Amino acid sequence: MAGLVSAQMVLASGPNFPTINDFLPPEILFQGTPFALNRIVLIRLIMTVVILLVLGITTMRAKLIPGRWQGAVEWMLGFVRNNIVYEVMGERRGKRYVPMITTMFMTIFLFNLCEVIPGANIAATATIAMPLVFAFWTFFQYWIAAAREQGLGKYLRHELIPKGVPLPVLIIVLPMQLLDVLVVRPVSLMVRLFANMLAGYFILELCLAAAQYFLVNVTDKLMMPLGGFMLIAALVMTLFESFVAALQAFIFATLSTVYINLSYPEEA
Amino acid sequence: MDLITLAEVSGNLSAIGYGLAAIGPGIGVGIIFGKAIEATARQPELGGRIQTLMWIGFGLVEFLALLGIVCGFLFS
Amino acid sequence: MTLAQTGGIKLFLPQTYDIIWSFIILVVIALFFYKFMLPRFQKIFDERASKIEGGISKAKVAQEEADAAKKKFEDQLKSARVDASKIRDDARAEASHIIADARSRAETEAAQITANAQRSIESQQQQALVSLKSEVGALATSLAGKILGTRLQDDSVQSSMLDSMIDELGQDKDKAA
Repeated sequence: MAGLVSAQMVLASGPNFPTINDFLPPEILFQGTPFALNRIVLIRLIMTVVILLVLGITTMRAKLIPGRWQGAVEWMLGFVRNNIVYEVMGERRGKRYVPMITTMFMTIFLFNLCEVIPGANIAATATIAMPLVFAFWTFFQYWIAAAREQGLGKYLRHELIPKGVPLPVLIIVLPMQLLDVLVVRPVSLMVRLFANMLAGYFILELCLAAAQYFLVNVTDKLMMPLGGFMLIAALVMTLFESFVAALQAFIFATLSTVYINLSYPEEA
Repeated sequence: MDLITLAEVSGNLSAIGYGLAAIGPGIGVGIIFGKAIEATARQPELGGRIQTLMWIGFGLVEFLALLGIVCGFLFS
Repeated sequence: MTLAQTGGIKLFLPQTYDIIWSFIILVVIALFFYKFMLPRFQKIFDERASKIEGGISKAKVAQEEADAAKKKFEDQLKSARVDASKIRDDARAEASHIIADARSRAETEAAQITANAQRSIESQQQQALVSLKSEVGALATSLAGKILGTRLQDDSVQSSMLDSMIDELGQDKDKAA
């Protein structure tokens, strides 16, 4: 970092560092209408088409005896079903939520992967709107499940007044729990995903911008090793961000399942 | 940036603020996962239930760190 | 570095068009998963499971059939064994029957032969008796003649004559026998 700062001081035009403006790209199509498009929305749309095409063709060609690619897709579906939904909710309850959680996991994972795809370089989930839509889907699902399975009153009583809490503590716990049920759950889902994508983008682009700057823009040969180091760091961060993409999708899906499961009455 | 200034610190105080805000949740999340692993090791048959509780706690604790991020932008 | 220059809070305030597009995308993808992909894959999973189960049940049926066949064979073998022993017993009984039959027949035959022999001996005896009687008669006649023909002076002559006669008689008797 010291090298970075001094280099910035030496040269008038510093490296092309990422800014948060990258997350607020200008509208490029249909400006001003409710259907305006910016760069991230465009990436999202393209990724959607790619997902529909690839998975659609896989589904159309799905055979009884799976090939290698079909096996991988089936493994993923099986992972979401068994390791996320059935693990948390059990098979009987979880059955109706398998499509929802599968949609969430696959979409978030593949949208997150856009972060390390050259040309896109920014996660398709990296504006707050996409995580917001997902988070509110979960939000509505767990309220609906609560109303259907045990009634809202019973659900709120169960959630807001934990068993065995003395009255004075309850005065603090009650609003906290209410806040948790109403705000914290969806907002934390939303912000976690978005913040992770934001941080990943910054770290990755920082490494790449520095590598480009030191290897290409700066003529000073002394800076070459630093540029090489930054390139290797970018490579490592790319791998790490692919991992984070899967991890965040997993956490989002698991937490959605957990929240929905909390709406069900305690299992006997 | 003039010649007299040899070194300057630029940036935002909110970065430091977020660093401080992340300490607590960092410790908390660490404890949650550590305890969950410990509990699962002691009673592997309750693994599913422990994992569910672990995720609930994780969501709650990590919200503090996320709050730190939002506040960093909010008050800058 | 440059984060603070624009109002960062904008990041957390979604734009209308962004939400609309996200919603549309989510609906499309969710429909795709709900209505198309997962049912298809579920069908394939079920089909595969039923096929595996069917294979297992088929194997079970085959196993049962094999067991039944084996049981049948064993039963047949057992009944064959029983039959064989029965046949053997029958044969043995028949054989003993035959032997007894043969023996009885041989005995009757032997008895018959013995009876026949007895009868022929008896008849021969009868014959011999008859011929002896006739011969003795003739001899007695001739002896009487001889006695009458010679003078019976002394006892020696008389006794020698008697001896010779008895000798002759014995020879005749031997000849007749």
